[in-house]
Amino acid sequence: MLLIPYLLGILLLVFIPAALSFTIAFFKYDALSPPVWAGELNFILTYTDELFNLSMQNSLSLVILPVPLRVLGAFLLARLMQRKGRLISWLRASIYIPSIIPSVAYALAWLWILNPLFGPLNLILRAIGLAAPNWFSDPLSAKLALILMSLWQIGEGFLVSLAALQDTPPELEDAARIDGAASWHIFWRITLPLLAPILLLLSFRDAILALQESFTAILLTTNGGPYYATFTLPLFVYEQSFDLLSFGTASAALWAIYALTGLIILVLYVIAAQWNIGTTDDTFII
Amino acid sequence: MTRSSSNSKLRLGLRLLVAGLFLLPIIWMVTAALRPPGSPLSSSIRLLPTRITLQNFSRVWQLVPLGRYLLNSLLVVGIAVPLTLVTSSWAGFSISQLPLSSQRRWIILSLAVLMVPGVALWSTRFLIFKILGWYNTIWALIAPAWMGTSPFYVLMFYRAFRRIPREMYESARLDGAGVLQTWRRIALPIARPTTIGVALLSFIFYWGDFISPLLYLRSEKYYTLPVGLQLLQQMGYSDWPLLMAAAVIATAVPLVLFLLVQPFFARVDGN
Repeated sequence: MLLIPYLLGILLLVFIPAALSFTIAFFKYDALSPPVWAGELNFILTYTDELFNLSMQNSLSLVILPVPLRVLGAFLLARLMQRKGRLISWLRASIYIPSIIPSVAYALAWLWILNPLFGPLNLILRAIGLAAPNWFSDPLSAKLALILMSLWQIGEGFLVSLAALQDTPPELEDAARIDGAASWHIFWRITLPLLAPILLLLSFRDAILALQESFTAILLTTNGGPYYATFTLPLFVYEQSFDLLSFGTASAALWAIYALTGLIILVLYVIAAQWNIGTTDDTFII
Repeated sequence: MTRSSSNSKLRLGLRLLVAGLFLLPIIWMVTAALRPPGSPLSSSIRLLPTRITLQNFSRVWQLVPLGRYLLNSLLVVGIAVPLTLVTSSWAGFSISQLPLSSQRRWIILSLAVLMVPGVALWSTRFLIFKILGWYNTIWALIAPAWMGTSPFYVLMFYRAFRRIPREMYESARLDGAGVLQTWRRIALPIARPTTIGVALLSFIFYWGDFISPLLYLRSEKYYTLPVGLQLLQQMGYSDWPLLMAAAVIATAVPLVLFLLVQPFFARVDGN
């Protein structure tokens, strides 16, 4: 009985919108006049749209590419901060802090940090004699800047990795140490493979989340530019539905997102079945 | 022995370095906010400006109705966070009381919902909010709280409630406690760390949510703090001290909350 709000909620806010977005793809719809049947026209329009294909490529290079970097970084940091103690709990907190900053404030802060003339980062780069890029106004360095921004917000992956590390039996590493194995060796050969499945699951979740979370950062810093270098799928969907009121083509683009997600879930399922993840109590973190 | 002690010093140094690196964005944000307004931006590297001022923090309230945006943000968080706690812990609790096979079904359902990309729901949620009359009201921002905000929170509660021994539930039932009473008197008090965790996470989510007001609000009177920041950016692109002051204000609330709760988590973690 207490499940009713949850069930109604996911029905109304997830399942119905998802089903709607599947069907609207076959209609011409602008939210003002009644929908008109359009057959496969929206799919043809969208998938031949140069901007759509560009946004697909950008999504892959900007969002999916940094994911392994983020997850591995989060994991290595968790490993570094694995001890107990008062000081270290505060050091851990400081790794989580960038993830607390509201996304708009975070984007503004990076606009300042990466300001080409007066931003603190370029001042430092110039002082040590390195080239100071134009960051958001140059296609290549704008991409780099967005990836850099995303690397500071890894709080969730960090916490999940910490929890996973705490759940691994210390006896395994101890045994290897007694056998005389070097600590780096132990790390690469024992700890990492042991946690590899969790890191994989984390990567997929991160990829799906990052697609959405990068939207605010991009909208405020580059707005998709320069020359559409940072124009990603969420920006395409946003533009189609809320600027052009073309819900049909937006939905056709969503089909691509669903297909991508479906693929990810399939891979997830295979991995989960392979390693028995999600079948024991403690791995529901993800 | 000397080798291992120098090794541990190295590790400590590395830890401090990493922590400092992660604090840099917020440090740079604060130091920029303390610069005197209108003063020429210096091109020398120094952490603190030569003259420190709090002027930007008072100036920013006069330029945009930040006070109203702040109140709206507090209103959204004030409704959405308690609602999230109730709905997600109810769901987690009920799932933990079901027979094992149904538990699995609900968990798979929750994981499936978790995997739906938010982008895919933007335009059709917009249509649904229009039908429900939630479009351009504060309820459009609060809506996810009805489903516990995220299945992730439901699963967190489920995990916590499952660890409570069955006998405790049984004895409560024998004492004549109903489902609701068992949830309130037994399950919730034991799962306090989870409750605090979910409260903090959902607070951060609603406080920083920029996408919902962007998509589902039109009237300025409902705008929340993140929208206010964006408006400020569009007004004066190069007034960095002012922009950073606004960013600091928006960050301060969740940050203080996090720092207050943090020692509590450190304690739980130590046990």
